[in-house]
Amino acid sequence: MHTNTNTLTAAHRPADVSARRAIWGKLASRTLLWVFLLVTAALILFPIVVTFLGSFMTNAEIATGGRLLPSSLQWSNYAEAWVQANFARFAWNSVYLSVVTTVGTLVVAAMAAYVVDRMQFPGKKAFIAIQASTMFISIGAVVMRPQFELMIKLHLHTSLLGVALILISAHAYVFFILLSFLGGISRELDEAVLIDGGSRSVIFWRVILPLLRPGLGVGALFTFCGAWNEYLRPLVFTMNTPSQQTLTVGLANLRYGASAAVQTHYMMAGACLSILPLLIVYLFANKSFMQMTAGSVKG
Amino acid sequence: MQKSRAYGFSYLYLLPSLVLTLVLGVYPILWAIRYMFFDYRGYGEVIFVGWDNFGRLFRDAQYWDSVVNTFVYAGGKLVITLPLSLILAVVLNRGLRGRHALRALYFMPTIVSSAVMAVVFFIIFNSYNGILNQYLRKLHLISDNVDWLGADHAMLTVILIAAWGAVGNYMLLFLAGLQGIPDDIYESSALDGANKRQQFRYITLPMLGPVLQIVIMLAIINSLKGYESIMVLTEGGPIGATRVMYLYVYQLFFPTPSGGIEAQQFGYGSAVGFMTAVIVGIVTMLYHMLSRKLNRLQ
Repeated sequence: MHTNTNTLTAAHRPADVSARRAIWGKLASRTLLWVFLLVTAALILFPIVVTFLGSFMTNAEIATGGRLLPSSLQWSNYAEAWVQANFARFAWNSVYLSVVTTVGTLVVAAMAAYVVDRMQFPGKKAFIAIQASTMFISIGAVVMRPQFELMIKLHLHTSLLGVALILISAHAYVFFILLSFLGGISRELDEAVLIDGGSRSVIFWRVILPLLRPGLGVGALFTFCGAWNEYLRPLVFTMNTPSQQTLTVGLANLRYGASAAVQTHYMMAGACLSILPLLIVYLFANKSFMQMTAGSVKG
Repeated sequence: MQKSRAYGFSYLYLLPSLVLTLVLGVYPILWAIRYMFFDYRGYGEVIFVGWDNFGRLFRDAQYWDSVVNTFVYAGGKLVITLPLSLILAVVLNRGLRGRHALRALYFMPTIVSSAVMAVVFFIIFNSYNGILNQYLRKLHLISDNVDWLGADHAMLTVILIAAWGAVGNYMLLFLAGLQGIPDDIYESSALDGANKRQQFRYITLPMLGPVLQIVIMLAIINSLKGYESIMVLTEGGPIGATRVMYLYVYQLFFPTPSGGIEAQQFGYGSAVGFMTAVIVGIVTMLYHMLSRKLNRLQ
């Protein structure tokens, strides 16, 4: 293009026109691009914004609809959902399940990842193969039945601890995340502590775990989100013990309320109680959240 | 002596992981492999029936309908999600101002619970006075309420919702792949006069190849497996129109009257679960073979 305008001085006008056309074309494609990006953003945000704003509306406002902003803020939706719809209990159960699952998963996965990365022992390859296969083979809800029967034998079928154990047992993904992070921690540290007379467990708890913090952070976010959002297992395990229900289960059950239309504002408030804690953390730490997905491709 | 102590330490640290995985991960699969040869309903007699459950499975129209539904659902989800997320990734990879904020925004659906969002979407897509219908009427795009969760539109609705939850996730996976392509290739090609479209066709796509194949494989497996939000939103209804195969498995074990299946059938359910895993395995393998063939052609 440049050579054209320089050499063909006789054809000055057409080149000028084409340059102007190029600028307009560029501007048009820029605009088009931003329209596309913003429309996509609006579609992504719409359900979440509707939930948030709806949680401050009266039930009648939501039902007649057609407006985005509430006419006045109904904080009572939250108070009533918290007390009458039992969301205080659900929230506590969700916190308990998520914390126990996260701590358990990290400890179990970190211990296994440490010995797999640093030690030689028979059966190591088989162990890795088992872990990898549990991530990909799925026969669906079938497994929940034997899991439930096992928990009955352990007298854990009416407690969330049983659900936590089942969630901890699915630690393969975190195991592989930690394994890749361990590869980046120098083995010379291990040797140095051994020479100083420290034991392997001292190395693990005092040296490796603190250095593994970035990996543990990614694993913790991944596990906490998963447990907080888990629906099927808490649902199945609390069918006979409503007092153990988590936010996800309690919220979904509101659909079957005596008169579903009456409770829409509770459902909105309940949905907010469930998604806002994660979204607030996400606002400040979205880079770490995004690591938990991206890590799976980078290896 | 030294060696056996090291083994002891290794196995001790492996023990919690191994026990949990074997007891709660592997044993349930063996349980299913045993019971798929039995007639077992959770109470009463457990009767050995050999391959009868599989005979029944091949005649079970409800199951094969759910298999077809799964492929429609997964296909629809992939057709929307993959191109959209690839475009977003390419656009947000370099240069654009505000790209970090937009990435975070598009990824947001990944971290919220699909069960909770299904409840929200239930309120939005509700045919009677749902929020979407309210807006569409106000904008005069429709005059009568659209029955988004009715037999005609329910599948489209669950596909759109699934795409809403997945686009950001795959965008991020593609971005991870794009960041592996060195900048100087783009720079030198720009010096040679390549435009954006040519760069995408001759640099981005070929260099993204291996990542693209892994991500598509992940996407296929995930979309075949997903049923949680469908379960909350429609329970597979109306009349089985959105029942996918893993939801059918769930309903055989934990039936509800509103889900359309009355009695629990653990033996038959195990056979269905096993068959479903085989179907997913076959699809994955076919895709793997196809992508390897494509590699060789290039």
